[in-house]
Amino acid sequence: MTRTDLPVVQLLERLDLALYESRDGRLLGDAPDWLTELAPEASKGSLEFDDDALPILGDFLGQARRFWQDGARGRLRSGPFVETDARGRGHALEATALRIDGRSLLLIERLGEDYELAVANLQTARENLLVQEELERIVARRTADLREREEELVYRLIRAANLRDNETGAHIRRIGLYSAALARALGWPAATVDDIRLASPMHDLGKVGIPDRILLKPGRLSEDEMAVMRGHTSLGAGILEDSRVPAVRMAAQIAAGHHEWWNGEGYPRGLAAEDIPECARIVAIVDVYDAMCHARSYKPAFPEDRVLDYLRERRARQFDPRLLDVFFERLPEMRRIRELHPDEGMDTAG
Amino acid sequence: MIRTKVCMLGSFAVGKTSLVRRFVHSLFGDRYLSTLGARVDKKSLVIDGTKIDLMLWDLAGKDDYQSVRPTHLRGASGCLLVMDSTREHSVDVALELHQLMLDTIDQVSFVVAINKCDLVDEWRLSDRQLEQLRALGGPIFRTSALTGDEVENAFAALARQILASKPPGEDGDPS
Ligand SMILES: Nc1nc2c(ncn2[C@@H]2O[C@H](COP(=O)(O)OP(=O)(O)OP(=O)(O)O)[C@@H](O)[C@H]2O)c(=O)[nH]1
Ligand SMILES: [Fe+2]
Ligand SMILES: [Fe+2]
Ligand SMILES: [Mg+2]
Repeated sequence: MTRTDLPVVQLLERLDLALYESRDGRLLGDAPDWLTELAPEASKGSLEFDDDALPILGDFLGQARRFWQDGARGRLRSGPFVETDARGRGHALEATALRIDGRSLLLIERLGEDYELAVANLQTARENLLVQEELERIVARRTADLREREEELVYRLIRAANLRDNETGAHIRRIGLYSAALARALGWPAATVDDIRLASPMHDLGKVGIPDRILLKPGRLSEDEMAVMRGHTSLGAGILEDSRVPAVRMAAQIAAGHHEWWNGEGYPRGLAAEDIPECARIVAIVDVYDAMCHARSYKPAFPEDRVLDYLRERRARQFDPRLLDVFFERLPEMRRIRELHPDEGMDTAG
Repeated sequence: MIRTKVCMLGSFAVGKTSLVRRFVHSLFGDRYLSTLGARVDKKSLVIDGTKIDLMLWDLAGKDDYQSVRPTHLRGASGCLLVMDSTREHSVDVALELHQLMLDTIDQVSFVVAINKCDLVDEWRLSDRQLEQLRALGGPIFRTSALTGDEVENAFAALARQILASKPPGEDGDPS
């Protein structure tokens, strides 16, 4: 490489740079004015670092010393910082530690206008971020409001549909909560968990289309009557299908599939295993659990351990074994839902 | 006398600069002027007869695009972990920065400041978030840089912790 006689010192000055050599603690060339304002002894070519003058640069020099000692390659940059002079004025600086030809050098750069510009950009970006955060908050609140209204509408419609039936309002609410709890345990995304909470209470909606003489018949149903009764699944799906609303589409799948069995022996289509939508497999479990744990006009409540035995016996026959295992893991949560939402006396209205 | 480096850590616009300004200069300004890089202010306290000089490093807040530079954090003996009681997200950021602090500094004291507590009607932090903050194990202060509420107490608690964790004679020259 050819040696040049570049006027390095002038160059540094023009570029608003100061160069400090660690070995003898001195600046190379004259100190620029801004550095003299920050540290008066700089005018004599030396630099003192203490916490009163140049505290941040002094702190960085400590890190730079370790960097030089370790013989690390490349450079260590401080990032921008502001030092305050005796008159209280801020000076934006950035420092870089380097080793060149075995010499430990600290390059101190005055950022000047570049700093002002970067601050202005940062300011704009952050004000935008704050507005964005605020908007997200408003949207989240609105969405929650909407959900609540949708849910209320659904519960009221179902209550109307159930007027003739034996289902209680609390059963409807619990089915939504158990299903959501199980879906959450399975790692479903929050929005889909919300969907199943809204959708699962509609599983028996199709019963509105079942004639009174069958729906309300005391005692056993004949084969033919049973076939009509089983139609509540397809009837419900018919009411709910082809919706643009994801929760209603899910409700259609649940209505259609909540009496399908894992082994294919259920109805109405005899689907098996993964061919049954997961949402319907969830509701299949929690619907039986809840119905058996509570009394109805035509039957007493079973003790929970008997209910659990019943579910276990039907693992991998009626119920998806994986989902049932997760359901059992989450039993404490299911019990809490039952405690918090008991049947209110005879709220069956029928 | 003990002289020690303390860092203001938190998301952007949570009030780090305002807390330092309130504590050091007893001033408050409405306008948001975001900090770029680092700036240091000094304040002396006397804790149980020991004078301690706090070098308060006001750092740029973390946002989606940039985090806190470890170079600025190194060598600190304490941090004030600041969040904004009106912005849920600022707690999540504070929790991340708490981790960064532990990863960067070996032995460090910290105090949690839930700031802007004068804005009572705009409180947005959930119980779960408060639980997460409690789990960090540091003292928690509900501060307001606007009214000055709990600001002195938060810094004094941090100074007290730093003194308690330092064996005498270490760091800073004994006077
Ligand atoms: N009401 C109220 N406003 C506050 C409080 N503290 C800060 N602010 C306001 O919040 C905004 C941000 O305050 P700063 O102190 O600049 O926040 P910062 O954390 O330093 O922000 P960055 O430097 O960008 O990270 C300013 O408009 C302040 O006036 C407080 O306790 N109460
Ligand atoms: Fe059914
Ligand atoms: Fe049911
Ligand atoms: Mg700031």
